[in-house]
Amino acid sequence: MKRPLIFSSTLFFCLFFFFSICIAATTLYVTSENAELKTESSSSSSTIVELKRGSPLTLVSREGRWYKVTTLMNETGWVYRGKVSEEKPEIEETEEDEGGLGGLLGGLSGSDINADAADSSRSIRGLSPEAKEYAQTTGTPKQSQDALDSVITRTVKGQEIDQFLKEGKIGEYAD
Amino acid sequence: MNHFKNNSKNKPAASRREFINRRNFLKLAGPFALFLSCPAYAFDLFKVIDPNGQNSDIQKAKQALEGLTGIVQSAEGIDYKSEFTIGETLALEGFQRFGLPVKNEKLQKYVTTLGNAVAKNSMRPDITYYFVVVDTPIYNAFACPGGIIFVSRALVKGMNDEAELACVLAHEVSHVAHKHALSSVRRAKFFESAAKLGTLNMDGAEGKQFRDMVGNLQNVLFDQGLDKGMEYEADESAMDVAYRTGFDPNGMIRVLKMLQQKEATATSKGSWFSTHPPLSSRLKKCNELQKKYPDAGLMATVKNRFQTYRKML
Repeated sequence: MKRPLIFSSTLFFCLFFFFSICIAATTLYVTSENAELKTESSSSSSTIVELKRGSPLTLVSREGRWYKVTTLMNETGWVYRGKVSEEKPEIEETEEDEGGLGGLLGGLSGSDINADAADSSRSIRGLSPEAKEYAQTTGTPKQSQDALDSVITRTVKGQEIDQFLKEGKIGEYAD
Repeated sequence: MNHFKNNSKNKPAASRREFINRRNFLKLAGPFALFLSCPAYAFDLFKVIDPNGQNSDIQKAKQALEGLTGIVQSAEGIDYKSEFTIGETLALEGFQRFGLPVKNEKLQKYVTTLGNAVAKNSMRPDITYYFVVVDTPIYNAFACPGGIIFVSRALVKGMNDEAELACVLAHEVSHVAHKHALSSVRRAKFFESAAKLGTLNMDGAEGKQFRDMVGNLQNVLFDQGLDKGMEYEADESAMDVAYRTGFDPNGMIRVLKMLQQKEATATSKGSWFSTHPPLSSRLKKCNELQKKYPDAGLMATVKNRFQTYRKML
């Protein structure tokens, strides 16, 4: 009598475990900077919302290189697979660091979050005063200073990147 | 037995705190002793003892040490602005060592756009990256802290498609994202005294420490090379980031094979051959990683566009 009981209860637990796994929703995290939730599994479809890096999404289904997902705000749409991961990305905290090395090298508080602002102002003025001072002290040739200046004033806009990927039929723009 | 248990449970809060403090005293004795000889190592030991920063007593002691010395916790923990300034000075040295940028704005813009396209899918996508092709026959690429990335004319010319270049740029982006170069010079005196100095005077002692640190970085990036583990990590990340962007991750393998063919006749000093682990071991690891991308063959290589720009070299 005991054997069939053990067998049936083991079977019940195995089935329960199997279905639990099937039902459990997979959570994905936005890992890229320029991820968008689309209405369809195509880059040409309209954008529902821009997805913030690190935000969680619930996987609904997969279709080729696109994932159907639901956001925390209950918006359902499609995201390109390269923009998400099952691993949560590490995002550096915004910290005012005026007393740290930032103060030492220019007096600006810095964080990665503020990097874009720093970049915009740099692209206007070129080499930082600290780098100029270093160049003077070490007798760096003007050619090298001009070279660096040309490199850090050359910036690329997000739209240019999208156009570049589109022309190359890369990633979400692939046929 | 129960009596003892109850006794310990009913200890007054002050006694328990004393007990915790005693226990922590033993933990703190190590860092304090180490602090006397080498402050930078003391902070590393704090990380080992309390990696998540959950123990308030240890965190307080750590803050006290920081206050006493003005030590920046580690070179990797510095702010973006300072990191970029270090990168700028290193780039100034890089141009003297490896030559000036190739004079072709279209080509430079192409590489910069491609580099930033892959960087958007890297583990540090929220900073702007700067890319430059320098006019040198040496096969090389390196990344300055903060995101200024050099790639040599010879290396680009040796490639066949955009996926290969995307992988190399993603490899360098990975070094920036992981702050590999800064990790390599974390013991530099500069980082031990920096925070209490206020402003940097290039002529003074702190200026010398700064230049020494930049010198150490030059040695690491231009001659000695980064740690092998960092290079393997960057290769793995490069394949992943290229694939995420939509490129064939096997571009990394093709570049390494191309370099293997060139190795016998190419200049070794200051090149990828001397600053990176042996190509055979990198290839072996990349070939293992290949299995992660079963549809790699369907991903973009963009050969035609790449060849258009390659002709400009």
